[in-house]
Formats: sequence, C-alpha cells, structure tokens
Amino acid sequence: MSEPTSHDEVTEPTTLAFAAASEVPEPAGGVDAVIGGQPVSERKQARRENWRLIRRRPSFIIGTLIVTVWGVCALLGDRITPHSPLDYRSTPHLSPRGDFPFGTDATGRDVLSRVMAGARDVLKIAPLAAVLGVLFGVVIGMLMGYIGGWFDLGMSRIVEAFLALPVVLIALLAITTLGSSDWVVIGVVAVLFTPVVARTVRSSVLSERSLDYVTSANLRGEKRSFIMFREILPNVMGPIIVELTVRVGYAVFTVATLSFLGAGPPPPSPDWGAQVSDGYRVLGAGIWWTTFFPAAAIASLVIAVNLIADSVQSVLEAS
Amino acid sequence: MRRFLLKRVASALITLWLLATIVFLIVNVLPGDVGRKILGPFAPKEEVAAFNHRLGTDRPLLAQYFTSIRRVFTLDFGNSFQSGQDVKSIIFSALFRSGKLALLAFVITIPISIAAGIFAARRQDKLADRVVVNVGLASSSIPEFVTAAVLLSIFCVHWKLGKVFANPPPGTSVIGQLEYLLVPAMAMVIAYFGYIARMTRAGVIGALQSDYARTATMKGLSDNQVMRRHILRNALGPTITVISVQIGYLFGGIIGVEKVFNYAGLGSTMLTAVGAKDIPVLQGAVLLVGIVYMLSTLAADLLIAYLNPRVRLETAR
Repeated sequence: MSEPTSHDEVTEPTTLAFAAASEVPEPAGGVDAVIGGQPVSERKQARRENWRLIRRRPSFIIGTLIVTVWGVCALLGDRITPHSPLDYRSTPHLSPRGDFPFGTDATGRDVLSRVMAGARDVLKIAPLAAVLGVLFGVVIGMLMGYIGGWFDLGMSRIVEAFLALPVVLIALLAITTLGSSDWVVIGVVAVLFTPVVARTVRSSVLSERSLDYVTSANLRGEKRSFIMFREILPNVMGPIIVELTVRVGYAVFTVATLSFLGAGPPPPSPDWGAQVSDGYRVLGAGIWWTTFFPAAAIASLVIAVNLIADSVQSVLEAS
Repeated sequence: MRRFLLKRVASALITLWLLATIVFLIVNVLPGDVGRKILGPFAPKEEVAAFNHRLGTDRPLLAQYFTSIRRVFTLDFGNSFQSGQDVKSIIFSALFRSGKLALLAFVITIPISIAAGIFAARRQDKLADRVVVNVGLASSSIPEFVTAAVLLSIFCVHWKLGKVFANPPPGTSVIGQLEYLLVPAMAMVIAYFGYIARMTRAGVIGALQSDYARTATMKGLSDNQVMRRHILRNALGPTITVISVQIGYLFGGIIGVEKVFNYAGLGSTMLTAVGAKDIPVLQGAVLLVGIVYMLSTLAADLLIAYLNPRVRLETAR
C-alpha cells in the first residue's frame, strides 16, 4: 500500500472512500486502467450503487442515528452534559427526577452526564482497536493467501490456536501482565482480532490468486508486493470492509466487557463498563438506575454498530 | 473413520502446543522480573530474589518454556502465587461449578434456538423470519454482563423470582439449585441463542433449495418427513460446529455473568487471580479453557463425520 490517500473521492463517505482510494490506478502505469477485468469507471459505478443500497436500508439508518448521537456526546463531552460528570456535590443515590433524569450514583454524581461523557472512552478505544486489528490481519492474510506453502500452513495453525481462546479471557491475561492503559487495551484487542481477520482475508485472496489478472501480472514480471497490494487488494476490499464493520461491533463488546471486569481505564473516568461494575452491587437494594442506564448505553451502541455491519454485509455479499 | 480420528487428534495436539506457546509468550512478553512486578517497586531485593526462586522464574527462559509446555499435557499447572495451593485443584473445582451453569444454559439454548432457526427458515423473508433474525442479531451482540445485570434487576430484585447471590448452599438438591442458577443461565441463553438460531436458519435454507429436498417432496413425502429425514441431517453440520465453538467461547462471557451474580466459578476465580496478579492460576485457567475448546470441537467434528460420510471420506484422503 504505497500511496493510496483519499485524494479524489472526497464526496464519498469515509469507509467507502477507503475502498475507493486503494483502487485508484497509478497515473503513470497505463496497464492499470483495467483492474480485475472491469474498467475502473464501471467499478466506481458499482460502488456508488452499493452505497446507495446500503444507505436505504432501515437498519443502516437506525444504526447510524444511534452511533451519531453517541459520537456527538463523545466529541462534546462535558460541554453538553447537564452537570459535570465528575461533580459529586449532590445527594448520593437520588432516583431519577426532574433535574437528574437518570438519578445520581453512589457519590452523588449525575448518571446522565456520566453516561453521555462515557461515550468518549469506548468510541476512542474500540474503533482504533478494530482498525489496527484489521490492518494487521489484512497484511498477514494477504501474505498467507499469496505466498502459500509452508508459511501459510504454519500461520494457519497459529491462527487456529488463537481462535481456541475467547478474546476476553486472553486479553485479561495479557492486560494483567502488561498493566492496563488505553494503549495496552487497544494493542491487545487489535492483536487478538488479527488472526480472525487474517483468516477471512486469506480465503478471499486464495480465490483471487488463480484468476487471469494475477497470472498476467505475474507474466509481466510485476513485483510480488505490487501484485498483492495494488492488484489483489482492491478486489478483496468488499470482505475487508464487512470484516471491519463487524470487528468494530466486537471491539465495543470486548472493551465494555474488559472495563466491567476491571481491566479498562482507571476509576474516575466515566467509562460505561466501569459504571455498571460500580452500580451492580447495589441492585439488590433497589437502586437500578446506576446500572441500568450505562448498561442500556452499551447495548444501544453495540446493537447500532451491528445493524450497520449487518446492512453493509448483506449488500456487499449480495453483489 | 480411524484415519480421520488419528488425523484430527494429531492436529488438536499441535494446536494445544501452539496455544501453550502463545500463553507463555504473553506472560513473558515483557522482559524482566516477575517477582518485582508482583511485589511492587518498594520490596527489598532479597525478597524479590527469593520469590523468583520459589516460583522458578529465575531459571533460563527456555527451561521455563519446556516446563510450561509439559504442564499443558500433564495438566499440572504448579502452585498459586497467592495461596500456595495446587492450581489444578483450584481451577478444576471452579470449572465444575461453571460447567454446571454452562450445561444448564446449553440444555435450554440448543432446542430453543434450533427450533427457532427451522421456524425462521420455513418462513424465509416473512415477518416471523425477520423477527427471529433481528432479535438473534441484537441478543447475541449485547455483552453477557449487560444482559445479566438487567435480568438480575428484573427477575431477582423486582419480582424476587431468583437469587441475587447465585451460589447454592452446599447440600442443595439439583432441583433446588435451579432457583439459584436459572436466571444467570438465562443471561447466557440470550447471548448464544442468536448464533445458533442464525446458523441453523442458514443451513436449513440452503438444504431446502437443494435438489434432494425437491426430489423428496416430489416423491410425496410430507414437509415434516422431508425436514427430519433429509434436511436436518445435512443442515445441522454447521450448527453442531457453532455449538461446539460456543462451548469454548462461553468461558469468555461467563466471567461477566459470574461477577454480576457473585457465582464462584472459573470466571470469579480468574478475576480474583487478576486482582492478586496470580499468574499461575490465570495461566492454568486460560489453558484449561483452551483444552475444553479443543475437546468440544473434536467431539463436534467426530459427530459430524459420523452423521455425514462425505466429510470423513474427504478428510481422510
């Protein structure tokens, strides 16, 4: 992937611009006017058509709306919260009422403000972890599928071994030995996502490898890296985008679970998983609002991301 | 069949070895002093050295590696940093308690989700199908601890139908234990329903469109006969695989459920170990889950090969 920046397709939305940008042929090499047997303009048209189909799906619209709401909360944080998320001046454990619609927590902090501000942690960590995991996975999966042979055999075994463990479990072990910080969580989740992504990419590359355009590139004497990243990669972009959206959903799931288990960001920060972890102990006393609202926030975000992933998947896999 | 079995067991053993290697690398990824990491920066030097010696963490890395590989195959995971107790006895009794919860969850999940999958497949793209698919998608994407916390507040606190603390006192009868375990198990049922139902649905839809299903219908079999004799036999392969994978993955989600319900299973044991940086217990628990996963996927592959001769002949070649 030498210089694919999103220089021309500015009008397209980000995820697809990513796909589109890597398909931009090298200006000098006239041979690339045709990629994968289709003229570029036709591919662009197909892409626009897919995007139009995705945009029209109700599940995509609902998912995007919810994610946007949380995105605004994450970006603006305590500039739009009714109280400060760290302000503990009011009475502890007030039930939901006029000025505290979600009630207050054990130290008198406003639950609504904390839920709104808590979007920041998860929206910072989860997408980054997913993007990194997909990036590593694409590189390794491309190499496995394209080089093949002993390398592929060995790596496939390692991938299988990784898949034998639940991500949360092995992340817990890794975070315990490495010590917790945002970057450790991002790195660990990304590394644990890599094998799954690599397996998906590998199987798509395998079905591309025997096609004529790869053979002809080989005959032209192109470099392996050129064939992998400039010829094959654009053609397997569909499954990669699907994998990316699915991974973002899993990342939100994993990061929330880790912070509930105590392996997330440190206490004062209004993280959703940590809020549930603080709140669930007093559920027995009938104080449900300190647990319910952050839990509902997690559920809404995960479902929203999965709705988006599902609509992207059903359109891209049908085409 | 024997050839297939041998091949499959050999590959499981290789995966287990790689798994132990990965876990070893994670624990030893930071060069440096295990004793220092656990005792903190202010502990005296001699104490740290003695601690390392006791754990064997002052030996060369390669020797430690061989020990840790041997341990996976002999199931001897050494002693706990914290209590000095044998790790094996700690994690096996915890696994037994988690296993009870997991078994209850699966006994409920499997029939419900397979039935829902078949139900949805027969009404493909109708309203009932969309409901099953979307409820499945939503329920399986919510983290287990979220579902567990919501169920706890509704069923155990509001309606008082279950117990807030899920540990049954010793000597409780099997039926009596249900009162404790049913609500936490429901949290896992909700989490795993979606995967299994969707997989069954996809398998049945694929089989319904096949030539053999059409032939069976044309020769006059009723819909139920076609489903039982022809479709399910072919369609359940992927479902069995998903179930076996979920048996291993369940231990990721069960940690959250056990924490919410204060249940003393493998998950709670691991969380205690995380708090105390008790790496042998943590390592043992992770490897044990890996072994459970290997065994359940092995069993699933054998079951599929038994049900479907095409699979075993293809792999044995």
